[in-house]
Amino acid sequence: MSPASPESTPEKRGWSGRLGAFFYQRLGLDGLAALAAKKHVPVHRTTLFYFLGGMALFLFAVQVATGILLSLYYKPSPDQAFESVRAIMTEVDFGWLFRSIHSWSANLLIGILFLHLLTTYMMRAYRRPREITWMTGVVLLGVFMAFGFSGYLLPWNQLSFFATRVGTAIAGSVPVIGKYALLMARGGEEITGDTLARFYALHVVILPLATIGLIGLHLFLVQKHGISSPEGVIRKHGGEERVPYMPFVPHFLLRDMVGWYLALGILAALAALFPWELGHKADPFGSAPAGIKPEWYFLFMFQALKQLPANLGGIEWLEGEMVGVLFFGFCGLVVLLVPYVDFGASRGRPRWVLNFLAALAVGFFIFMTAWGLR
Amino acid sequence: MHGAMPTLVKLRAGAMPTLVVGMFLPVVLAAALAPAAAAAEPKPPAGQPQPGPNNCILCHGNKDVWEGEQLKLFVTEADLAGDIHWQSGMRCQDCHGGNSRAEEVRQAHAAEDGFRKVASPKDVPEFCGKCHADIEYMRRYRPSPRTDQLAEYWTSDHGRQLKTAGDLKVATCISCHDRPHGSGAERAKHGVRPVSDPASLVYRTRVAKTCATCHSDQKLMAGRLYHAQPLPCDQYDKWTRSVHGKAMLEKGDLSAPTCNNCHGNHGAVPPQVDSVANACGTCHGKVAKLFAGTRMRHKFESEGLPGCATCHGSHEIHQPSDAMLGMQSGAVCARCHEQGKFGATLAGAETARKLRSDLERLKGGIEQAQDTLSEAERLGMEVSQPQFTLRKASDALTNARSLIHAFQPDPVEKALAGGQEVVAEVQEQADHALAEHTSRRIWLAASLAPILLVILLLLLYIRSLPAATGGAG
Repeated sequence: MSPASPESTPEKRGWSGRLGAFFYQRLGLDGLAALAAKKHVPVHRTTLFYFLGGMALFLFAVQVATGILLSLYYKPSPDQAFESVRAIMTEVDFGWLFRSIHSWSANLLIGILFLHLLTTYMMRAYRRPREITWMTGVVLLGVFMAFGFSGYLLPWNQLSFFATRVGTAIAGSVPVIGKYALLMARGGEEITGDTLARFYALHVVILPLATIGLIGLHLFLVQKHGISSPEGVIRKHGGEERVPYMPFVPHFLLRDMVGWYLALGILAALAALFPWELGHKADPFGSAPAGIKPEWYFLFMFQALKQLPANLGGIEWLEGEMVGVLFFGFCGLVVLLVPYVDFGASRGRPRWVLNFLAALAVGFFIFMTAWGLR
Repeated sequence: MHGAMPTLVKLRAGAMPTLVVGMFLPVVLAAALAPAAAAAEPKPPAGQPQPGPNNCILCHGNKDVWEGEQLKLFVTEADLAGDIHWQSGMRCQDCHGGNSRAEEVRQAHAAEDGFRKVASPKDVPEFCGKCHADIEYMRRYRPSPRTDQLAEYWTSDHGRQLKTAGDLKVATCISCHDRPHGSGAERAKHGVRPVSDPASLVYRTRVAKTCATCHSDQKLMAGRLYHAQPLPCDQYDKWTRSVHGKAMLEKGDLSAPTCNNCHGNHGAVPPQVDSVANACGTCHGKVAKLFAGTRMRHKFESEGLPGCATCHGSHEIHQPSDAMLGMQSGAVCARCHEQGKFGATLAGAETARKLRSDLERLKGGIEQAQDTLSEAERLGMEVSQPQFTLRKASDALTNARSLIHAFQPDPVEKALAGGQEVVAEVQEQADHALAEHTSRRIWLAASLAPILLVILLLLLYIRSLPAATGGAG
């Protein structure tokens, strides 16, 4: 970025213009303006999919804003966590609104990220040189799922307590490292105040830092490599540079903003009409609530693991849950490495096998989730 | 087998009148053998186990030896397997005395070896009490044994009838602890089980049925009197319909009272007029204490009314309800206060009416507050705290119901007033939650309007932008 010069500063009149020019010069915004002017968004039949990334970013910003407000009142200890969330819901001005928006926004965010991943796959946007862009996106999805898992425990209610017990126990079934992972996650053998403290630290410090880094890298790569067009569109127009586009600023950004305002309205309506419930305070000595289940985005794994027998093929050491966890871990690895698993991506070859597996995975996700919700 | 032992005991009832000891007395087995031994010189039958440490079983475990009434003396090791004494290592001679190593009947049942006859049900209590009333002996088996059962028994109606009236049909130890079940030769005998064993006839859930074996038997109870009235036979049926019976039999609540909790077990007697409240107070301590300090208690005693049972009944005690209070039809207060029976006053009637009315007012308030909270919860409002607070009102209601047994209006009114305060506070919070819900909808509409306006303006602005698309397409 070149240093700002009086020549590159737009002519401004009046006090607001002069103030703008003051910051324009000192912050070097001309470089940013040049960057924005260079950024284009391809225009074609599926341009709508490009809005998903911006929508995810907006929802993340909502999470950060509402999360900061909640952290002003939340007390991360087993004795006070539930009561503090209840106070947020009932005593703090607009506390109910911020908590409900935080919870609804988290769920919408994960849903948007799933769609973003799927549409990016469909457009084969992970093609060279965007492999790392894809991989940072996949890792970000995992990080946001971890956000959901850790945040679920924080209200310290009955459902979240036992769901966390089940969830961490599943992680504990991984061979070799499972036992250590479980101890590390729980801070001991059982779900206690130590677990709550760890999950809180994970939720408000570790994951946000990781997210900011990953989002920064993701956006940098998107800026560096530009926005990918689908192969068919490129072929139709005879080259990527010949694909019609619109400037990011202001054309795409304004459309993005329409989506953000729409999302804001939807969040407000969901929060007002369907406030996120609090449930009953966790009782570690009580029995697990009937029909215990995790958040919807973990349900496909939970439901599948439930169907597995204790031991596969009658072999004692071949535990069903362990095999299931390893299988899902392997699937996650395959998704992460899709740019390299899709061998013909750079040469534009069809990917029938991969598409079949992807369709199978999506069908499996929808079926298992619907089954689990039933 | 008969032919194999022509000289061995072939016992006939007619030849041994002293052995006929009653249908329920299997422990008389050893006593039966003494006269028979005089008539025969028994030898271990050929093919049977040779004499060992416990030769009793050679004859008593051989079914072919016994017939008719004498079958009660037929006892196998299988019968004994479930017996707590047998399991503790005791053998026949430890209770019955005699010489279990003897090879012939007379020697086995020799009086000089301490052989003990159980010729009649009258002998049973002392027979069992020989050990069970001996603290030194019982300490071998338990560090803190009960040894008062025999003494208690002789104070019971059963014991008194046995000792003074010579009534051989009354229950003795074995009637409840080892009563043979089944019929004929298949009857199990010598199966005394610990009370904690669910198979025991005196296990908590089986006590009432065991008592009912005799007390529901009209023939057996015929002619027996209690307070100059025929002894009823419907106590068990009534108990099964009572709140106590249902708690035990339907809900499996082992803490629910059964016969022995009110009547005692070894010293079983019906509670008297002045002790009914104490019997009920064993579990219902608070109300019993309240009742004990009332004028009503003395009035009841002087009128011969059996305390708690006067209003709540005895065996068929139902779940108490608020309908019992007041002067309306079905209320227990009305039974006396309506017509001034037993000196009941009209002022008391008025108090009963007022208490009932106040009780209903609190109940109505709690229900209304609960309904409002439920509606607020259904609408997604967080009302767990007021719901928790409302429990205090329910506690106050319960407390007031208990305090009624003090037969003083002031404590009840005070408790009810405390409940009303809680109800008023919760109702206010519940109403506030509903109002908040309405307010949220209004604010939602108010905030959606500018959002939609901004969206509209953005769309208009986007339309006004030049179609700035690039590329060569």
